[in-house]
Amino acid sequence: MKNRNMSAVRNFIRYMLLAFGTIVFTLPMIYMISTSLRPNGALYEYPPRFFPRIEALTLENYDYILSQSKFYLNFLNSAAVSVITIVLAAAIGSAMAFVLGRFKSGASSLLFGFIIITMIIPGTTMIVPQFELATKLNLVNKLFGLIPFYVSWVIPFSTFMIKGFMENIPNEIMEASWIDGADVLTVYARIALPLASPAIASVSIFNFLTAWEEYPWANTVINDNSRRTLPIAIAGFFGQHQFTQWGYVFAMSVLTLIPVVLIFVFCQKFFVEGLAAGGVKG
Amino acid sequence: MSRIWKRFALILALVLVLTAGAGLAEPVTINFWHHYSAQSAENETLMNVLIPAFEAENPDIRINAVSHEWAELHDKILVSANSGALPDVARCDIAWLPEFQKMGILVALDETMPDFEEVSERLLPSAMSTSRIGGHVYALALNTNSKIVFYNTAMLEAAGVSVPATLEEWAETVRRLSGENANGQQIWGWNEPALAGWNICPFIWSFGGTLLSDDQTKATGYLNSPETVKAVETFAKLVKDGCITGFNSGDIPMTDGFGTGRYAMMLEGPWKSAELAGAYPDVAYGTALMPAGTGGSISVLGGEDIAMFHTANQAAAWKFMQFMTGEFAETEMARCGQIPVNRAALESDVVKDADYAPFIAAIETAKARPTVAAWSEMDNGLQNAMTAIVSGEISAQSALDELASQWDELLK
Amino acid sequence: MLNRTNRLQILGLLMPGLTVFLMFTVYPIVRLFWMSLCDMSFSSMLSQPFAGLMNYREVFADRTFWTVFVNSIVYTLVTVPGQMVLGLFVAVLLNGIRHFSVTFRVINYLPVITSWVIASLVFRYIFNTEGLLNYFLWKVLHVTGGNIRWLDTRWSGLAVAMILGIWKGIGWNMVIFLAALQQVPQDLYEAADIDGCGSFGKFLHVTLPGIRGTILFALIELTIGGFNVFTSIKMITGGKPAHHTDTLLTWMYYKAFSTGRFGYAAALSFVMALTLGFMAVGQFRMMRLRDS
Repeated sequence: MKNRNMSAVRNFIRYMLLAFGTIVFTLPMIYMISTSLRPNGALYEYPPRFFPRIEALTLENYDYILSQSKFYLNFLNSAAVSVITIVLAAAIGSAMAFVLGRFKSGASSLLFGFIIITMIIPGTTMIVPQFELATKLNLVNKLFGLIPFYVSWVIPFSTFMIKGFMENIPNEIMEASWIDGADVLTVYARIALPLASPAIASVSIFNFLTAWEEYPWANTVINDNSRRTLPIAIAGFFGQHQFTQWGYVFAMSVLTLIPVVLIFVFCQKFFVEGLAAGGVKG
Repeated sequence: MSRIWKRFALILALVLVLTAGAGLAEPVTINFWHHYSAQSAENETLMNVLIPAFEAENPDIRINAVSHEWAELHDKILVSANSGALPDVARCDIAWLPEFQKMGILVALDETMPDFEEVSERLLPSAMSTSRIGGHVYALALNTNSKIVFYNTAMLEAAGVSVPATLEEWAETVRRLSGENANGQQIWGWNEPALAGWNICPFIWSFGGTLLSDDQTKATGYLNSPETVKAVETFAKLVKDGCITGFNSGDIPMTDGFGTGRYAMMLEGPWKSAELAGAYPDVAYGTALMPAGTGGSISVLGGEDIAMFHTANQAAAWKFMQFMTGEFAETEMARCGQIPVNRAALESDVVKDADYAPFIAAIETAKARPTVAAWSEMDNGLQNAMTAIVSGEISAQSALDELASQWDELLK
Repeated sequence: MLNRTNRLQILGLLMPGLTVFLMFTVYPIVRLFWMSLCDMSFSSMLSQPFAGLMNYREVFADRTFWTVFVNSIVYTLVTVPGQMVLGLFVAVLLNGIRHFSVTFRVINYLPVITSWVIASLVFRYIFNTEGLLNYFLWKVLHVTGGNIRWLDTRWSGLAVAMILGIWKGIGWNMVIFLAALQQVPQDLYEAADIDGCGSFGKFLHVTLPGIRGTILFALIELTIGGFNVFTSIKMITGGKPAHHTDTLLTWMYYKAFSTGRFGYAAALSFVMALTLGFMAVGQFRMMRLRDS
């Protein structure tokens, strides 16, 4: 009896703590949305308000952003770069993972170790030589010049994650195909790829996020407005000298977040599984 | 899973089609970089009036205008010089030209353009002098400006002070205006949005101080002279006493602070009128010249030139530069607060109605920042030194002594 | 099984990945090292005279380098444990409840998927001197006697970036720790029950050892992430005042792309990569030592 009461109390505390944490967690996002819904003139009102006055609610910031053709272009740029990046990374990463995971030898583990070691160096550290490389390859100020660099950044992690899945494919399935006389490519395409598709999906979601929100590199190599991706466009809004229209900034931010949140909510399962697999194994 | 892949393929195909469509190249494209703010009236005019007009006149030329933030434009040009991605034409702060010229990325217009004399004669000689470096001319003057005092009429009245004419009055007025408003919010007598040469020079010069020797080769003895130190100390004291702000990351932006009555005065350029009219039409303000000290009333000379880079398509770029400095473009830009340098545009009704008189008076006595190749780096050193001084980390004298010897090195 | 065709096919499968890896990752690393030994700047981009250790000497003699180095270390030392402890705490709570688990998980994960640019701007807005937070602390809660100038001084500016870092990182830690917790064998808890362990004792003696691998993984990943902080600093303080709030990467970026000192920037990057390498090896060793 006493025990049951104890556990009820404990449960109650757990829910309370979680609810409190969740509220604190979401405050910044709610404030962003609430700011995007008020006119610019209300930004310095006194006293400041967390929620805008109901009668002052306005969609004018969204109207403005959505009336700019630039926004659609930036959106399309981000989408194109992200989608091509994840497709290439999935193809290249899964092929690498298949070979490294299924054909073990001294050379392959050496290569894998080498790939993992480079993961220690944060991406932005290499921005100077990579910029020089982009210059030599004539990829500066080219939207699709972003892609090879993004792919190279996500490949080690993608390979690492997919390799774990490849290794877990039961040997019998593989053996059976070898006996049937299938060659390596067939086994990769017909057996390994479909079986590893959950891992590939989860990795692809991560890669999408990486490419969608990438800022330092894109900001360095892209000049033209028409080639800018969303993060640079948002930062550009903000950077204007001495006159920040927060309403526009946050309206654009909300619009940028919508696809990501949708993808996350609908693919939540893959997302969490992928992360968990990496963390538990590592 | 296959559903997801199919969707990927669909999106991919869509993207490819769209980009292929965008890739159908035709006429010459001139890349034009500038630092008109993306939401400004200037940018609207550029994108919706000037460029369409130019492209209609020159159907074989397309203009790709790119907006950067001021400091970023400078960095982007330097970096692009090395990556071979320079624009054809850029609107450059007059303070940058010596640096770009030294890097060898600008085209000497007087040498390459046969009709250069004819074109440059349409522009004011004083403004054109900003683009002459070592015997050649590297740009066309585009607009000129200087800064004058903007003051909030109601706030001055409420505090019972008049518009300061001398620097002593200025310090006193700034002090009197600072304090709290009815809501208990802090208000500041003066706003200064940064601590760079553009911001600090008017004080140094008006206090009778200098930055460099007349031949611009030495800083020691000038930058750390008693007059310069006194100017900086006076400014720093007011910051410390909570009378000047604006240069901190957390401060209210200048226009918003002035528009909402939190900053009583500021030193700003002609574009501010258009900005205030757009965002805070109700605020009543007046203007006055920079308060005078022993050095006189010396504001800082600003302005932009339009320059061509050596990688440019010269014929098309030259056409665009002529257009931008021509009467039509200069008159249109004058409507947004850009003071023209084209003689014909200066005669137009737009300019006469705009009342640039206070700015023109300021320009007459204003000084230019040092025209040396290392200016950007020196300016950055000045900002760091000023930051240390106003935060009380170091005395003005020792900070400026140290900075002067750094500058001497850079000037060698 | 591995005849000529198959060997070729294996090579073919490896080739794209290897090419990208060698070209865009390995080559830049090698090039970075070489650049750090050359006198490279805007004016000498074409001729790059070998300069020995000049850049390294300059880095170590630079006062600002030490400021930003300490900033990066402090950022990492605060945000890594901060994220892990809070993330683990949320994971333990979530592990103990039956309803709404997915809802809480999704909401707590939202900051992770919010881009750095957006999150940084939101925090800048909240923490601005005239912002909502200061009003709340001063006029509603009366815990401060005035507006705190969060963004204007070295430590408070960094503190905002650190709070953002922790806020954004808890969700990630929560998910991986939650997965790890579910893998701890249930019978170990039952055994601990029999030994009369309290819940805290169980956490200490069963849970923590059980998720050690995940802790190490998180530790290394987050340390790398801590040194990789860039966008938030650039957006929130921009390194102001006078580079006091810059971190290694923002300072490196400034040196490279605003002053053109590519050699200096390369040397700085290399020092940073080495520091991280040593830290990772150290963390690995520490965990291994505990094992034995």
